[in-house]
Amino acid sequence: MSEIDLGLGILDHQLVDSAGHHCGKVDDLELEGVRDGTPRVAAILTGSSAWRGRGLLGRLAAAIARGRTVRIPWEEVKEVHAEVELRRTAHELRLAREEHARRVVERIPGASL
Amino acid sequence: MKNVFAIALGILAAIGGFVDIGDIVFNTAAGATFGYELLWAVVIGVGGIITYAEMCGRVAAVSERAVFDAVRERLGFQVGLVALVAAQFVNLLTIAAEVGGVALVLQLLSGLPYRALLVLALLALALVLWLMPFSWIERVFGYIGLALLVFAVAAIKLHPDWAQVARGFVPKAETDNLAVYGYYVVGLIGAAMIPYEVYFYSSGAVEEGWRPKDLGVNRANAIVGYTLGGVLSFALMISAGALLLPQGISPEHLGSVALVAEVPLGQIGLILALVGMLFAISGAAIDSVFAGAYNLGQFFGWEWGKYRHNAGAPRFTITWAVMLVLGFLIVMTGVDPILVTELSVVFSVVALPLTYLPILLVANDRAYMGRYGNGVVGNVFGVFYLAVLVVVALAAIPLLIASNMGQG
Repeated sequence: MSEIDLGLGILDHQLVDSAGHHCGKVDDLELEGVRDGTPRVAAILTGSSAWRGRGLLGRLAAAIARGRTVRIPWEEVKEVHAEVELRRTAHELRLAREEHARRVVERIPGASL
Repeated sequence: MKNVFAIALGILAAIGGFVDIGDIVFNTAAGATFGYELLWAVVIGVGGIITYAEMCGRVAAVSERAVFDAVRERLGFQVGLVALVAAQFVNLLTIAAEVGGVALVLQLLSGLPYRALLVLALLALALVLWLMPFSWIERVFGYIGLALLVFAVAAIKLHPDWAQVARGFVPKAETDNLAVYGYYVVGLIGAAMIPYEVYFYSSGAVEEGWRPKDLGVNRANAIVGYTLGGVLSFALMISAGALLLPQGISPEHLGSVALVAEVPLGQIGLILALVGMLFAISGAAIDSVFAGAYNLGQFFGWEWGKYRHNAGAPRFTITWAVMLVLGFLIVMTGVDPILVTELSVVFSVVALPLTYLPILLVANDRAYMGRYGNGVVGNVFGVFYLAVLVVVALAAIPLLIASNMGQG
């Protein structure tokens, strides 16, 4: 993989699943090997409780949202361009957070328009 | 040929879509108070919206990122969150102002009670948002909003002193009431550069799947569309300056705005003015409601956009519905929609630099933009307007207080 700046190139980017659906942002990164001098990204963390690693306002927002964090191992990442493309569907990666909202909206006539 | 036609249609929609309740209120109030002296401030505002709309459209077409994707990537979570909260606060005020404005115009048309018309406006807007395809919304309201061109005819018919009009395009401040003058400068620049337009424009570009080949359309929409939209602002100010200033009428009601078209052009002028205002303000209400939902969806990485059907982007759908209802509830309290309009414009000026800085950064980033990055012209204008916005943002609230919201 070519060289990318983790701060600007991955963090806060859009996650897209294998079906092309938006499924959250790269809210934080899990690094390993920092101590032995060969740091690499082990996983992408997404979900509102991952904001805790993002400063004071992040901790505050995480406390208010009270959501969960999903850990996506780096092996699940297919490609990084403007968006971070994943190898599987949001559902398989347990990222399908829009389901509840979808059931609410679907009850209204004309929802498929 | 088909392409030229599409560009022309886009431009027409941009003209009709330029004017909203903020432009109507500030341009007529400035005309009624200072005549043509503040035309230069509209030029600055229009230049600003052209600069940033073109940049956002280009960023969307080349990097496939809408405004709040760029905001979060560039400013990070914390500063991005501050920008988001500020933008949503301003959007909410704008939605309230536009919904109130729709009800005020309906009242002028029907004479029915204001609160009943607020409910009608809410229902009508919700139905359009729920049922109408994106491309239709953009066109229908933009085209019928072109009825506002009646103000250009009115401005000519009122025979203003054109030499004096021309002098209004030269910046100066020959007034003994600097606070009010300054307040209107802030208002006119803010009304022209109101942020929802850029959020909506860039998100629309991503929704319509713009690519670098669409950059010509982007440039035409931004430059020609917004320039001609600016002509509508000039027309409002000039006709208010020619008619309302000598009579000493201050346009605290939209009725006196309609009067500006009615006096020189009669019944037909009145009807065109009201229909134009109704569709222009309704279109702005819809755009600002969508803008709020776009921002949230982009910041948090949801499915967003009207091209995914209502249930296909459920959190986006719920967000616009909630924002529309909240805006409705604000004006339902009975607070004067004109007051809400002025506040929404002034606060939008304060929030603008946080939106435009990341766009300027991304437009200069070759990793995102390749060979479509900002050129010298884009950067000179971009940096100039960022500086203007910072100055105007710092002055906005003190001027609001010092001028007693333009009342002197």
